[in-house]
Amino acid sequence: MAGIAGIGGLPAGGLSALAQAYRQQVLASGPGASGASGASGAQGLSAAARAQAGREGAFAGVLGNGLSSLEATNANAAAKAVQAATGDLSDVHDYVIAATQAQVATELTTTVRNKALDAFNDIMRMSL
Amino acid sequence: MFEALNMSGSGMGVHQAWMDAISDNIANVSTVRRTSEAAYQSRYVVAASKESGGVEVAGIALSSPVGKLTYDPANPLADAQGLVRLPDVDLGEQLTTSIMAQRGYEANISQLERVKSAYQAAIQMGRS
Repeated sequence: MAGIAGIGGLPAGGLSALAQAYRQQVLASGPGASGASGASGAQGLSAAARAQAGREGAFAGVLGNGLSSLEATNANAAAKAVQAATGDLSDVHDYVIAATQAQVATELTTTVRNKALDAFNDIMRMSL
Repeated sequence: MFEALNMSGSGMGVHQAWMDAISDNIANVSTVRRTSEAAYQSRYVVAASKESGGVEVAGIALSSPVGKLTYDPANPLADAQGLVRLPDVDLGEQLTTSIMAQRGYEANISQLERVKSAYQAAIQMGRS
């Protein structure tokens, strides 16, 4: 899977761009969301700051970090795949380990993402 | 993340080095030298457990350079007494050791598969 991506030419930094987009979205939505409630002086500001800090550590931020580390794992597997194709790989199992790590990490990330999306949809379906 | 995969990989690396050393020994089983030279020294892999888990090749131990003095006056390398130096490699020992190295390598592969299925089962738990 990672090997195919490595040889087939998935655009380099695709996942890191996605992770960056997630983080920017989190930062952009911070002040706007808190501005509606935090209009009254110092307490409002600290509430806004707290909301901002909370959003930094919130799910989207965590998912962004997860995507960054997943991209590093995938890049490692892709580099090993290229070495295997060019004959530079000294130990065959090195590639298999890297590909297995990339596979399991990708499955974990997509599962977490799907789970969060399910939760979001459940909330959206809630009738008020 | 996924440390068990790296540990199995390090085990495969050591068994790979072991098989390399045995192949070298078997390849040189009939390497004849003059009595004035050192005999071929068979290689033995020294394994050491790593602090962070897993195993690594700590070094290569060499057998005695004396070898086996053999009477072979027809050999062009024989000295005045008709002696040559053969390596002190026991082919039967090397072959049985190579089975141990092979089985160890395979054991690490099956452990890798087992760990991978365990991780995937845990991820599967999050689906549905």
